[in-house]
Amino acid sequence: MASSRKPVLTKKDYLNSILRSYVLQNAQNYGTMQGTGMANSIMPQLRKIYKDDEAEFKRVTTSNLEFYNTNPQPYPFVTSIMLAMYDSGQDENDVRAIKFALMGPLAGIGDALSQFGLAPLFSSIFASLALQGMTWAPIPFILCLFGITFGVRMLMGYLGWKVGTSIIDTLSDRMAAIADVASMLGLTVIAGLSVSFVKVNLAWQYTQVIKGKTQVVAIQTILDKIMPYMLPIALTYFVYWLITKKKWTIYKIVILLFVAGVLLSVLGILK
Amino acid sequence: MTYSIVQALLVGLWAAFCFAGQQWGIYTNRALFISFGIGLILGDLQTAVVFGATAELAFMGFGVGPGGSTPPNPLGPGVVGTIMAISISGLKPAAALSLSYPFAILIPFVITFIFSVNANNLAWSRKAIEEGKYRRFHFLANTTLLGFIIFAFCFGFAATLSTSALKVFVQAIPQWLISGLTVAGGLLPAVGFALIMSTMVKKEYIPALILGYVCVAYLKMPVIGLAFAGAVLAFNNYYNGRRADKKDHGTNGNDDGSNENEGGIEDGI
Repeated sequence: MASSRKPVLTKKDYLNSILRSYVLQNAQNYGTMQGTGMANSIMPQLRKIYKDDEAEFKRVTTSNLEFYNTNPQPYPFVTSIMLAMYDSGQDENDVRAIKFALMGPLAGIGDALSQFGLAPLFSSIFASLALQGMTWAPIPFILCLFGITFGVRMLMGYLGWKVGTSIIDTLSDRMAAIADVASMLGLTVIAGLSVSFVKVNLAWQYTQVIKGKTQVVAIQTILDKIMPYMLPIALTYFVYWLITKKKWTIYKIVILLFVAGVLLSVLGILK
Repeated sequence: MTYSIVQALLVGLWAAFCFAGQQWGIYTNRALFISFGIGLILGDLQTAVVFGATAELAFMGFGVGPGGSTPPNPLGPGVVGTIMAISISGLKPAAALSLSYPFAILIPFVITFIFSVNANNLAWSRKAIEEGKYRRFHFLANTTLLGFIIFAFCFGFAATLSTSALKVFVQAIPQWLISGLTVAGGLLPAVGFALIMSTMVKKEYIPALILGYVCVAYLKMPVIGLAFAGAVLAFNNYYNGRRADKKDHGTNGNDDGSNENEGGIEDGI
């Protein structure tokens, strides 16, 4: 399939978008996490792609404000792919599917690398050097961490550009099917993460006497035996229902959850 | 021991820069690095870095990362603990660490507060872009960072001028409110997940949702394993879907026939 438009982005634009990955979390919030940051990070590139069509530019930019949450280090991989796809006029739904499919895996890889790999490694090396009297140890500590993660960003941005452009050349007719695969993969990860991220724990417990021994039984333990993470799922579905059926705004929901959290905690229902 | 206003300003600026680095993902928000700068400003690098290293090891697993969960933050001990270690002579690094730990717990509440206040950012940003007010959008796109910088500056400034007052403040927050906010912090991620699902979920994706749940709830899979499991389902769907398509194009979707065919090939192998 021929691309429906002639790419206008140069390598310099991609480099710029990689450097702009540092603004990803500058508007982090509980509504959309990195959503605003994502739109902001690719805005100059989108402006270049849609420079003749202000309305289209606004539409695509606002569509990228939606929820996003990944690790900022491998993040340029996503933006490079997305920009390559936008730039060649790929279907926006496909771009979106790819974007969300990459979110979970990249967060996993990024966290494993930056939080549980690099940081503890250099922490333990340079903290022990500092304890041995090397007072300037913090300098190589930060240089190593910053340098390596900067390299990761550059490399991921480059790989994303490679993949993005090759997908367009060879696989564009199969994009819909690939996007479907990506959506499914993405939703699996999102569903799994939602189970472990959302925390709803009942504080209720009762005591019972079995053969003269008193036992404290927590209701939460019983619920977990019936079906683990039952309440987080119920809560997520409740919020989903509020959004889709009741058309509640995020702010309203956040306030509701805040009040509910404090109230239920004070009443001794949740802990 | 008291410090000058200039020193307090410098500590505030340093804390603001370090804390902003948490959002940029550049690791300046590590206790070891925070202590280093404060040691330079307050004139006792040796003590500062030894304390910083102690706190760094205590906070090794924490730091730069995605949102959602907000663990105790090294900014608290990094700033307050270092000042304590330097200003109170004879105080051991470990003691300074535990004395300053309440501040590590205070920071996540501030982060939660900033993230929550900013939760409606989507609506504001959308409005700004649609109206073509790009300056306004760029301001909105940096609001959390601004909140972090302002908070950390005030925190560093105040901590330098009066360590004891800050400690009193933390102790003044009633326990019921702290536990209530902790519970609310656990509920809030539901919003983000529900939002994304509200735009992505179609009927044919329900198996993916169930698979994701089973992998985490029953199999306790880490996120990469989860992605592989999702890939299995997705590719299975992809190839079987293609086969189904082919069948539709054939004369009659004869299930038995195609199954026999496959069986035959497998037997052959």
